[in-house]
Amino acid sequence: MKSEILYPGAFPMVRVYLNEGETVKAESGAMVAASPTIDIESKMEGGFLGALSRKMLSGEKFFFQTLRAGRGAGEVLLAPTVPGEIVLLDLDGVNEYMVQKDGFLAGAEGVKIESKMQSLTRGLLGGEGFFILKIGGTGQLVLNSFGAIHKIDLKPNEEYIVDNSHLVAWTSTTTYNIEKASSGWIASLTSGDGLVCRFRGPGVVYIQSRNPSSFGNWIRQFIPVSE
Amino acid sequence: MNPTPNALCFGDGLPGAGAPCYVTVSADGLTMDPVGNASLGEEAIAFTAMSVQAGGLDHDQLVVSWGEGASARTLYLKDPVLIIAFRRAAPSALMAHLDRAAEQGRRARHSHRVLWGSAVGVVVGLGLLLWFGSDLIVEWAVARIPVQWEQKLGETVYQDFLTKETVLKEGPAVTAVQEMIQRMTVKIPNNPYTFQVSVVQSPVVNAFALPGGYVVVFTGLMKKAESGEEVAGVLSHELNHVLQRHGMERIVRMMGLAAVVSILVGDQQGLLGLARQVGMELATLKFGREQETEADVTGIRLLHDARIAPDGMIRFFERLSEKDKERVELFSTHPMSAARAERLKAELAALPKQTPEPFTFEWNSVQDSLGTSEPKK
Repeated sequence: MKSEILYPGAFPMVRVYLNEGETVKAESGAMVAASPTIDIESKMEGGFLGALSRKMLSGEKFFFQTLRAGRGAGEVLLAPTVPGEIVLLDLDGVNEYMVQKDGFLAGAEGVKIESKMQSLTRGLLGGEGFFILKIGGTGQLVLNSFGAIHKIDLKPNEEYIVDNSHLVAWTSTTTYNIEKASSGWIASLTSGDGLVCRFRGPGVVYIQSRNPSSFGNWIRQFIPVSE
Repeated sequence: MNPTPNALCFGDGLPGAGAPCYVTVSADGLTMDPVGNASLGEEAIAFTAMSVQAGGLDHDQLVVSWGEGASARTLYLKDPVLIIAFRRAAPSALMAHLDRAAEQGRRARHSHRVLWGSAVGVVVGLGLLLWFGSDLIVEWAVARIPVQWEQKLGETVYQDFLTKETVLKEGPAVTAVQEMIQRMTVKIPNNPYTFQVSVVQSPVVNAFALPGGYVVVFTGLMKKAESGEEVAGVLSHELNHVLQRHGMERIVRMMGLAAVVSILVGDQQGLLGLARQVGMELATLKFGREQETEADVTGIRLLHDARIAPDGMIRFFERLSEKDKERVELFSTHPMSAARAERLKAELAALPKQTPEPFTFEWNSVQDSLGTSEPKK
């Protein structure tokens, strides 16, 4: 599998080349177009229970699409639902990424995806929910974001503070704590962006330049209310 | 062919996500072979030169650091096989570090599990308690809410409500209702509430009492009643909702369930909105069947104590339910079933007989002061 990003920026697509027999896992509904040699299978990653738990717990789609180049090499075009950048990561078997539930777009056959329960405080306050995706294995991983993707490199023990709704993914060597940004808890909860994550290196944190829930709140005022 | 990497190396000049490398354990240290990274050469690190700790998001990785300044390197080992091999080979001086690291990891995982377990236990327990033993808990909680809070809450809603309605300031109707309340309240032992009553101009056949003792009677109800005793019956029932703090019980129950639900779904913003929302519910409070029965029974007793003919309420309900069930709003919150009427009658029969004292007002003239005796159809 080989991928390239087309139209980088707000409305990108990914072109994935598959050799005969190769497959790519994609978020269901992500396929835009494909060569006639590509077959689409809906497969429940991790079996029915795994898929069910992923659906119920992390809000991720129940099925992944598996696109298989069964009858010869071909290409697939994939696109995320929201406007925003795409990033390609190479997994080599040692590095692992924690990915917030909307961040996964596609992954090579060797990429392993599981739902992971976060600790209580992280789940309650982190804004990512109790469950996030833990993605490891080998091969290319495609993540999407809302807005532009920004990469933060952290050296050992280097710290960085991120508003939790801007998180896309982070490596599992990175630890983080939830903190409040303002001085009081009440102020934190009412001001909207009061909770932040303090990341500590080594590792990489990917953040998105737009906040989906803020955007949702903003756009809601323009939606006509039906009587 | 390159070996499969089994560790990540961090340091100056290396990729932020870590340089994949292949680590092997020997008798006196580690050998690190960077996979596919030309800028990093193979390096052997003696056990004596390194420090060890647990790390990573879940405290399940072994972190090996050595060197200083620009040549400082940190290695993250995740492979359990590699970690075990390392533990076997490492000298006991380092083992102390290692054991501490392992202990840290175990403790972190343990506290993680305990935290989750107790959180789930608390939430499930709360849910079960609220579901099954809710009455006891709610009563316990309500008993701890100061009457002043209740009054403040009730007063806010009361004033809100009254500004939207036409309130009768004076006249025979107001005097009559005040007399009823007065007759009853002096008979309430240890009454912590100061009852306030307003007569509101409205064809709605209803009356309600807010927590804290704020009573509203609609003129529609007074026009429908054939005697003052009938109105007093309804008022006595409403007063007893207040005295038994039924409104607070409903609020606490609503808050409690919703609080558990919002904890379950991890929605902390919801909790905040909740308190405000519940205030809105006050005016449209619907009581449970047990609360209605309790208010019925204590209401009849209160009427009896106040020497007001206690069958007025039953008569009023029975008379109205035959005629116009749909139009009387009172029935939406006080459905009058045959069983309920029977229970009221039985309760009435059990009370000692006495001669009721009539009210000082003429009911007919009270009704006349309200205008036409039939509300607009």
